[in-house]
Amino acid sequence: MTPAPNPVYLDHAATTPVRQEVFEAMKPFYGPSFGNPSSTHRWGREARAALDEARERVGRCLGARPDEICFTSGGTEGDNLAILGAWRALKAQGRTAVVTTPIEHKAILGAVHQATREGAEERMLAMTADGVVDLASFEELVDDAVAVCSIMWVNNEIGSIQPIPTLAAKAKQRGALMHTDAVQAFGKIPIDAQKQHFDFLTISGHKFGAPKGIGALFIRRGTPLEPLMHGGTQDRGRRPGTENVAAAVGLARAAELTLAECEAHCARLRKLRDKLEAGILARVPDAVIHGRGAERAPHIVNVSVPGTDSESLLMALDLRGIAASGGSACQSGSISPSHVLTAIGVRPDLASAAIRMSLGSLTTDECIDRVTEVFPALVAKARQFATAEQS
Amino acid sequence: MTSDRVLVAMSGGVDSSVAAGLLVEQGYDVVGATMKLFCHGEDVPDRLCCSLDSVNDARRVCEQLGIPHYVLNLESRFGHDVVDNFVDEYARGRTPIPCVRCNTFTKFRDFLKKADAIDARWIATGHYARVVDRELHRGVDENKDQTYFLWGIDRAVLSRLILPVGGLDKAQTRSRAHAMGLEVIAEKPESQEICFVPDGDYALILEQRLPADAPALSRGPIITSSGAVVGEHNGFARYTIGQRRGVPGGYAHPMYVIAIHPEQRAVVIGPRDELLGSGIVAREVNWLADAPRVGDNMSVRVRHRAPLARAEIVRLDSDEIELALDEPVSAITPGQSVAFYDGGRLMGGGFIEASRPKRAALPVLAA
Repeated sequence: MTPAPNPVYLDHAATTPVRQEVFEAMKPFYGPSFGNPSSTHRWGREARAALDEARERVGRCLGARPDEICFTSGGTEGDNLAILGAWRALKAQGRTAVVTTPIEHKAILGAVHQATREGAEERMLAMTADGVVDLASFEELVDDAVAVCSIMWVNNEIGSIQPIPTLAAKAKQRGALMHTDAVQAFGKIPIDAQKQHFDFLTISGHKFGAPKGIGALFIRRGTPLEPLMHGGTQDRGRRPGTENVAAAVGLARAAELTLAECEAHCARLRKLRDKLEAGILARVPDAVIHGRGAERAPHIVNVSVPGTDSESLLMALDLRGIAASGGSACQSGSISPSHVLTAIGVRPDLASAAIRMSLGSLTTDECIDRVTEVFPALVAKARQFATAEQS
Repeated sequence: MTSDRVLVAMSGGVDSSVAAGLLVEQGYDVVGATMKLFCHGEDVPDRLCCSLDSVNDARRVCEQLGIPHYVLNLESRFGHDVVDNFVDEYARGRTPIPCVRCNTFTKFRDFLKKADAIDARWIATGHYARVVDRELHRGVDENKDQTYFLWGIDRAVLSRLILPVGGLDKAQTRSRAHAMGLEVIAEKPESQEICFVPDGDYALILEQRLPADAPALSRGPIITSSGAVVGEHNGFARYTIGQRRGVPGGYAHPMYVIAIHPEQRAVVIGPRDELLGSGIVAREVNWLADAPRVGDNMSVRVRHRAPLARAEIVRLDSDEIELALDEPVSAITPGQSVAFYDGGRLMGGGFIEASRPKRAALPVLAA
């Protein structure tokens, strides 16, 4: 084993460490404050108070009222609840189509496929080469047959930003419900449910310093929704099951901290991101940075170098102590070319060479320096083998 | 290059797990990798990973050994080099040997490139064979020896190959697994089947991949070597030379499939002595030693675990070889392999093109 000198974590879009403040905020609920919020006694009341407060605080972070916040287990559950819950509630009214984009997270694509198995009509929006929804396609596909339209705010692989406020307003005019997966957007893009017209919005705690297994779905007051699970009356019956009080408190704390630091954090990440991209392009001039022409969130860089493959590069990076990620990983952990890059028309050889580096709280100037040194060296080596093979 | 890094191909089985464990004990910088070679998942490609359990076992072993583990997606290359060829061969009335092609193209070529990418000087597998001074020799456990499947690898690979269990017998390998604490896999049963064929039913793969009216899967005559039609079959690809199952009975001697004639869609049957061949023509010949000359003698093996037979080289081109056998050999099957040995050393091999009923005489040396 050769332990790398300074491990570099560039996979913040996959997950982030739990913040110390968040951990501290959660602790009492793993200790003396262990009550069940549905109980009527003092332990129950204490837990209920913490949960109610957490709901209010998360609501404030999104410009939402407390009853519009539904705690979930994370992004996948929020996405499924919004899409399937809305579609199942609306299909009786003759709204049978579900609109989405081909660059969504698998949680959305999977939920939409499930809706089609239940009789929905799936409509896929066209994308520009930079990974942004084609507006003409949106105008054409979002009509009065649409039950729900789901478009991710920030793409998790290339960081491209969709004009959600504009799209949500248009969807509203046509009577379609609008969902946005804001898992990568929270803390990077201003979100305000009072001014923006989305009906559902998904966030996931572990992307911004809360633990895994907690997230929230914003559900605008009065929006029809069938629950996915059945049982108790927790969360107004939308999400039965004893609430994860500690994690909800952690989510609230993490959300507040994230928003308080948002501006400075994003400025810092943007600077580091630009330095990383410039550093790579200076040493590997033909590297392709995907979605570069679009408005992008500051924490994601997705780069393909012609003549390399992601699988080998990721292994080599990992063995040098640098953590990045590739396309979609399957159950076995093997990597297939990204469906996102394929959908925006990236050449297959470039799609299978893609490396996503995502920046965050652990990223420093030194990290970027190390990556801009190691990555080009590994690329050069990979290409040297590729050339040797051709000759 | 990191001189002591080794990339180990780990299937999740006991042999490759012990191979990795031995290398860790020997102080190598060991990196484990499992090749994902196929997937039977239908509409959603990543939904159902058939190799998932093997991958999980390999990962658990690596966790226990304290080494990194990766999954390598070689599905498309394996599909092209091995599975497509498997189907083509059956469609041509031959009996393919996919493990040889997997070793030649996937394990000892594509996998080697992954080793290059991570600066690994060495690659290792759990094969029962031994590398001695850049020569490939049979494993110590004659019963487990896997050299028959390794004749096609590039000779240059031998200078980067470590086969840690080649010096053990299977029982020793299992006991080493226990000693290393690898209880997850220590008593895992042997896998004898072709990995990408579910439940050993290879015809299923052919039915999925060949058109419904493919000659190989269509009805045709069962004939004797004299040409008499004695029955009908449901596709010659369902038959293999030497097979008795599905062959009409009622003869004085048991009857076997002795040949397949794809152009007539015919399956030819005959008694045991008609299975015998005295000569072999093989193609795509590869050498792991300096090539011998016409007139040289070698030991050859035409099936995994078949006894070695003595043969003389009667013709030798860059790609093709013709051998005359000292004693006739049963069921020399086109599409299968012939491996060449000099004592315990694997010299090379080729894919069997044809069996010759009569021993060919050496043109020059005929006396």
